[in-house]
Amino acid sequence: MSALEIQNVRKTYGAVETLKGIDISLESGEFLVLLGSSGCGKSTLLNIIAGLAEASGGDVRIGGRSVLGVHPKDRDIAMVFQSYALYPNLSVHRNIGFGLEMRKVPTAEREKAVQETAKLLQIEALLDRKPSQLSGGQRQRVAIGRALVRKPQVFLFDEPLSNLDAKLRMETRTELKRLHQMLGTTIVYVTHDQIEAMTLATRIAVMRNGRIEQLGTPEEVYNRPATLYVAGFVGSPPMNVLSAVVGDDGLRLDGSGQVIALPGHLKGVVAAGRCVKIGVRPEALRLAAEPGGQPALQVEVEVVELTGPELVVTGRVGGQRVTACLPPRTWLEAGVALSFTFDEDAMHLFDAETEQALR
Amino acid sequence: MSGTSMTTRAWLLMLPLLAVMIAVIGWPLIDTIHLSFTDAKLVGTAGNFVGIDNYVKTITGSNFQRTLVTTAKFAIISVFAEMVLGVLAALLLNQEFRGRTMLRGLMILPWALPTVVNATLWRLIYNPEYGALNAALTQIGLLDAYRSWLGEPGTALASLIIADCWKNFPLVALIALAALQAVPRDIQAASLVDGAGPFARFRFVTLPYLAGPLMVALVLRTIEAFKVFDIIWVMTRGGPANSTRTLSILVYQEAFSFQRAGSGASLALIVTLLVAVLAAAYAALVRKTAGSNT
Repeated sequence: MSALEIQNVRKTYGAVETLKGIDISLESGEFLVLLGSSGCGKSTLLNIIAGLAEASGGDVRIGGRSVLGVHPKDRDIAMVFQSYALYPNLSVHRNIGFGLEMRKVPTAEREKAVQETAKLLQIEALLDRKPSQLSGGQRQRVAIGRALVRKPQVFLFDEPLSNLDAKLRMETRTELKRLHQMLGTTIVYVTHDQIEAMTLATRIAVMRNGRIEQLGTPEEVYNRPATLYVAGFVGSPPMNVLSAVVGDDGLRLDGSGQVIALPGHLKGVVAAGRCVKIGVRPEALRLAAEPGGQPALQVEVEVVELTGPELVVTGRVGGQRVTACLPPRTWLEAGVALSFTFDEDAMHLFDAETEQALR
Repeated sequence: MSGTSMTTRAWLLMLPLLAVMIAVIGWPLIDTIHLSFTDAKLVGTAGNFVGIDNYVKTITGSNFQRTLVTTAKFAIISVFAEMVLGVLAALLLNQEFRGRTMLRGLMILPWALPTVVNATLWRLIYNPEYGALNAALTQIGLLDAYRSWLGEPGTALASLIIADCWKNFPLVALIALAALQAVPRDIQAASLVDGAGPFARFRFVTLPYLAGPLMVALVLRTIEAFKVFDIIWVMTRGGPANSTRTLSILVYQEAFSFQRAGSGASLALIVTLLVAVLAAAYAALVRKTAGSNT
């Protein structure tokens, strides 16, 4: 039985349809990340799961039971918010135990649960403080503690790391991963940060305009993007996308007229004359040592940036922009013309019109 | 520009205002203090110095004590009722429903009306011969015969308190409504998920955000209610049988009706002192609120 099933969920606000039929089935212990930019409907979907918003159509089932019309408190869920949402005049101790207190859990049992949770999150020393006396990171730990203490079937996280600074965000991310591995909880996590999605998820649902563009493991989403949008959204710097037309001799790039040989696995997928988009990740490109059998791009280098761990090279192929991530010790300067190669299987093809992957 | 010349210029620029303040507040205040130590009448001689006689007589006099009790009754009951009504109205107007914006606008009306208009309106409602209240109560059978609500000592003060509440609860409601809108949506959502019922939500989610602004409203309204004059003057003039006489009315009567300027001044200063204590409480509260926000 699935821990969470979302069946054809729709949501409309007047004439605007923000969710256009979402289907997801989540097994117990899975970590699902809803990934997308602002306004894609990910938070609306989370609120519908939580019961904070009503679905206009479809069904949400938690532990096999339909929860449509069920009050949030009776859905067996816990939620962690972006703004922490701690009760300002209650101590950390009471904040964590609040859900149990409202459910009239006996004091001794509640005390035990709060202490265990505080120990797990290493916030025992903060129990007597008020939220205003805590740092952002500490507040988020308390908010996570408040969710954990109830041991619900499904945990919902609404961009929980967005308000933290970069270093703390990374630490808390690792902490969340550790907690998930240790407790084996079922989590639905909303974020617009693709690094968070890649590192935390067991499955990612990339959302766009109220639809799921792709639902798959981080590896699938990264290595086999289903659409051009997914290819561009996941990965930093984003995947290079070059317009081309399929010719008899290979793929002819728009603007420059360069021809790239069609890799073996894509032969037979596209017919001559078809407009396509070629996708190659910046980290798949490397400097060509000598002309060989691999596909190659002739690039005029415009900008070279050393980020520390890598050298980010931006240039042009004809009128089209290309970015490559090279090892930091590569010697390069702006203005030179270079040849980049990449492995055949690193090339992705998308239909120029439907933007769907061609395989 | 050096610090000294800046200070000089600042003082120069403030001088006109300072001069006006001294003329309209400082001098009358000093004159009142001086007057309060004399037995001066409103017209005629300047009066003789009588020391603290006026103060002793005023404080120990039964008139003052009875009036103080009436004022306290008026202030405590009306402010309490305004706070309760104001918060309830704000909670209602914070819900989503059709016509909410119009209702929010309409609610301000009683508060925005001049007190004299308000008081006249309520005199008409309470009128013993053709008042709407009498008509309504007899028609629904709660009253056998028309009553003179403002003419009976037993009902006059309560009638005034109702009129004052009607005028002033919108201010509390406005302040509470503004505070309610500052309650973060995430905390409200968190409390729903945590299973808090309506009372727990009010206690742990709404009240912490409402308490500060409400305290300010409470003190401001208490100061106002303690100084009340106009609504009472228009509706009952302190009667019947002094049952609605508040401190401000007593000061007026003493100084102008009985023309005892000296004892009137001492009474006015005592009232000023009482209000100053409330104002100090307000200032302390504002400082505390400002401190807790940093």
